[in-house]
Amino acid sequence: MVDEFANREIADAGGREDAVMGAFISVPAIEPVMGTRGDRRSPDVPHRTYTPRADTLQNDLVLIERILAGERELFVELVRPYQKLVYSMAITVVKSEHEAEDVSQEALFKAYKNLGQFRGECKFSTWIIQITLNEARHRIRKQQRAREDSIDCGIEAEEGDYIPIDFADWREIPFEALQRKELRTALERAIANLKPIYRDVLVLRDVEHFSVAETAQTLNISEASVKTRLLRARLQVRDTLAPGFDGYWSTGSATYKRVRPF
Amino acid sequence: MRDGNMIVEISCFEVWKRLSEYVDDDLPPDLKIRLRDHFARCQHCTALLDGTRNVVALIGDEQAFDLPSGAGQRITSALERRIAEDRETAG
Repeated sequence: MVDEFANREIADAGGREDAVMGAFISVPAIEPVMGTRGDRRSPDVPHRTYTPRADTLQNDLVLIERILAGERELFVELVRPYQKLVYSMAITVVKSEHEAEDVSQEALFKAYKNLGQFRGECKFSTWIIQITLNEARHRIRKQQRAREDSIDCGIEAEEGDYIPIDFADWREIPFEALQRKELRTALERAIANLKPIYRDVLVLRDVEHFSVAETAQTLNISEASVKTRLLRARLQVRDTLAPGFDGYWSTGSATYKRVRPF
Repeated sequence: MRDGNMIVEISCFEVWKRLSEYVDDDLPPDLKIRLRDHFARCQHCTALLDGTRNVVALIGDEQAFDLPSGAGQRITSALERRIAEDRETAG
């Protein structure tokens, strides 16, 4: 069956909404495809099994007490488990590895200097993230970097509504070209080009696996906003990486299925 | 509406609004069923669903966001140095 939508030219963002909605109205009825899905993963299975890290707030508080009492060198041990988290947050703001390292180191030192202010009312990771984000944003402002162009090509009808640019991408990117480093770079760039409010939620939810509630608390927004922004962020990253994402990837640790509408 | 089936159809537009929650298995049962039914009949939304799942899985992959080699050590060393300097100046 010829899919009219696939051949339809969608010329510009301005006319896109009409084109998209028009395509829906005129596409011929698609027959059910049950039975042809083969090994497609069941939609009832959560996308990833995540083992949450053990609640370490108590351990952290004990360490913090010792550090404040004079065992300053323990601070490095306190923050070692959070290094990757700090770096992940930093790189999405400043975008270069070198700067992200600088920001990470600066943020951790600020945490050291202000350790006495941490009272355990939130998780230590929440506190560290807030410091990191502040430091990264401060650096951006200080350098007077030009406002990054945010990817915003989907049509937004109202807050939370988002119309994807395309449903399937017929171009093929040979997956051999996507070595892990290139993949990471492409992914970091795609995420870094999100507007900050979407990016922060995506990193916390999907990189650091914070719950909706934890994310809401860390960023000081409602849970509804977390969900709305996460939807937006995920769809935009997907749009950016579309050439590969409905195609076939391998990171070495997992293989992503080829997906073609037919 | 299908014969003999009480599932009420849902539009693609509505499906997109709920896609992220569907990926997280965070929908009430009746809505989940309606989306699942939609995916069974709509290849476009299914492609979008699987593409989004791929994005989430890729982002969540520990390897994708590893510290660059040596970064952890550099950060630690710089931090140790600054802490030592700070102790000296503080007396």
